[in-house]
Amino acid sequence: MARRDRYHFKEAGGFVVDATIKRGGEDAAFEIVPDPEVCVIFLKQHVGAPVQPLVGAGDTVVEGQKIGDSDEAMSVPVHAPVGGKVLRIVDAYHPVAGVPAPAVFIERSEDAALPVRLPAFEPGALDDTDRSELLAGVREAGIVGLGGAAFPAHVKLGMRDKVTRLVINAKESDPNVACDVRLKREKPADIVAGIQAMARLLGPNEIVFATRAEPGAFPELEARLARAGVTVAHIRPSYSVGSDKLLVKELFGLEVPCGSYPPDVGVVVHNVFTAYAVARALFAGEPLVSRGLTLISRQTGPLNLWVKVGTPLRHVLMHAGLDPTVYDRLAIASMLMGQSVPNPDVPTLKATAGICAFGPDEPSPYAKQLPCIRCGYCNLVCPVGIYPVLIMEAEKRGDVRRMKKLHAEDCIDCGLCSYVCPSAIKLTGHLRRAIRAVRQ
Amino acid sequence: MKHSAEVQYKMELSPHVHSGITKDALMLKTFALMCVPAVAAVFAMGTGALVHIALAVGTSLVCHFLVYFAELHATGSTSYPTPASPLVAGMIVGLSMPIAAPYYATAAVAALTMLLFKWLQGRVFGRKYINPAAASKVLLLVTFTLLAGLSEGLLFHPHHLRLDMWTAAGFDRAISFYDGRVGLPAIESLILWKDHGWIGGASGLAVLAVGIGAVLWLKLKWRIVMSLMVVMGTLSVLMALITGGSLAGRLAFHLFTGSVIFMGFFMATEPQSTPLTEGGQYVFGAALGLGTFFLQQLNVLGGSILVLVALNLLTPQLDRIGMHRSYGHGGDR
Repeated sequence: MARRDRYHFKEAGGFVVDATIKRGGEDAAFEIVPDPEVCVIFLKQHVGAPVQPLVGAGDTVVEGQKIGDSDEAMSVPVHAPVGGKVLRIVDAYHPVAGVPAPAVFIERSEDAALPVRLPAFEPGALDDTDRSELLAGVREAGIVGLGGAAFPAHVKLGMRDKVTRLVINAKESDPNVACDVRLKREKPADIVAGIQAMARLLGPNEIVFATRAEPGAFPELEARLARAGVTVAHIRPSYSVGSDKLLVKELFGLEVPCGSYPPDVGVVVHNVFTAYAVARALFAGEPLVSRGLTLISRQTGPLNLWVKVGTPLRHVLMHAGLDPTVYDRLAIASMLMGQSVPNPDVPTLKATAGICAFGPDEPSPYAKQLPCIRCGYCNLVCPVGIYPVLIMEAEKRGDVRRMKKLHAEDCIDCGLCSYVCPSAIKLTGHLRRAIRAVRQ
Repeated sequence: MKHSAEVQYKMELSPHVHSGITKDALMLKTFALMCVPAVAAVFAMGTGALVHIALAVGTSLVCHFLVYFAELHATGSTSYPTPASPLVAGMIVGLSMPIAAPYYATAAVAALTMLLFKWLQGRVFGRKYINPAAASKVLLLVTFTLLAGLSEGLLFHPHHLRLDMWTAAGFDRAISFYDGRVGLPAIESLILWKDHGWIGGASGLAVLAVGIGAVLWLKLKWRIVMSLMVVMGTLSVLMALITGGSLAGRLAFHLFTGSVIFMGFFMATEPQSTPLTEGGQYVFGAALGLGTFFLQQLNVLGGSILVLVALNLLTPQLDRIGMHRSYGHGGDR
């Protein structure tokens, strides 16, 4: 049962997450997806306060121009991914929030002016660069955590006083995401430059690059990391260890207390793509307007694509030679944690690392849920050690006190409980409702 | 190609993929494992065992299809889409019956298991609080006892009532029953091969082997079995020391009879009616061992299911104790 290879991730309780769907993804070079006719840029693509639009309908914008910002500390600006004209600013379906949210629609123009760039720093002179300027550069580039959390990067990078360790999460533990691995192959210099910039900001005692790759899999990157004094930690193939809190435990044996975050135990975790984005922002002046992601469908297998933020999924699918109208379900981000989208006009976000297209011959495996048999598999597999089935029972009864006692709020929404459930029960839905009930 | 407005995808909560582990697969694996003690029983106990097993499985399947078609006809849907679970239920009934029980009793237990304690219990309570096979057997035992006395209540093992389990001599006389019956001394017979008692316990060693296999393969609630065995073993040793009898004999009898080892692995671990918390499972197993041991001492051999059903009813309370510590909570449980 527990086959051990790079595509069978071992989880708690002896269960295995099958990631063979992305086999071959690391060999698929990034293809640049041409800019779409119309980009849809949400004003909130991060954890924290939304931004206010800086443009209006009819305005002309150039690629890289800041089009939304906020005075709030916990916020990052958004930028125009293409040059052209602002068509409108209206509510559109937000794929993460699941509700309509304000978005800027920009029609691409062939004769737009050249992209604008942010002030760039000299990589070789990092030690002489003022840290506050670097931090402001990261913020101005609109960088968020690109592993999926979308936490403003400058906030975490500003925690110099409490942080002693910087961890770069290159585990790529989502079963459908291969773009991080590909990035390590294609952009090693930028990744290391980004890590060095982060280190300059945080001043950690230790920098750890966590990967599930075998030693020697990325010779150029490994050589650069070694020269930069970065420790490479080869972590066991596991899906759940991709979570920041669990990675901290895996690497250092530290548990992040309930209600706290890794910086509270002196660790900052950044995704490898975030490190790359930091390098591009600080040393090339590029705001975050594009990123790599992995598209997976039965027809194409895993494809690594370089896509402008705000590109409608329809455009991405069609670039890959797929007809968006023939699919039954479309999910963004992780297959285990990501959201369904209602139609192909939904755009990518900054933190969109994956797209999964499911055809009519791939119905939801949860379509026929059976009664719970209380086998306890969900408890065995839960990486944070809560009891999903007991929480589900309490949630059905509306017993908030019991849900609190069972620490429902500790759920990290990894989806493993549902994944292993023999009755195909979506426990995640019950857990989300339980979390809401506990927090109310 | 359709316009965007015309394309609507199905909206699903995550996750979007599944491991492929199914309830049916678990049931069929359980059934396959139980075939080992079933085959051993047929060799050790003869065709009578085969008839009991076939009768129990057959009755379960008949009841399943009756419910299946009745539900489909009445509501358009059914509680048990496949016969995998009834197969297991039937096999458990077959293996938990004493070889001396009349065939009608086996068929009756199987029918009660399926109709009353499996289907109706699930419909009424939304979950099975008590083990269907154990509850059916208890119901039949109580009914027989009330109607025809304790000998029938013990499912036709009246000689049990004459045993004295509290003295070394009495105990030796009890297990001497097994001496030479299958060409083996009593202790070896109890462990390896016997033609008396629960059909599922014909070979205690075979049950132990497949039980361990089930723990590893199906992730059974091993804490229940372990604490049951530890308590039974400890009490056996204590009793042997107190009475001065055979230690090996005590251990072989109290650990390897079908009502202990088969019940422990394949009935006491039934998932719906047993606790989910680790501490709850330890307490459940230990209490089961304690109760079973004293019932054995009182000559209610095979009475382990009485204790099992009683403990099943305590499962909701046991689920409130002995939770393991979750991530980030120091040691606050």
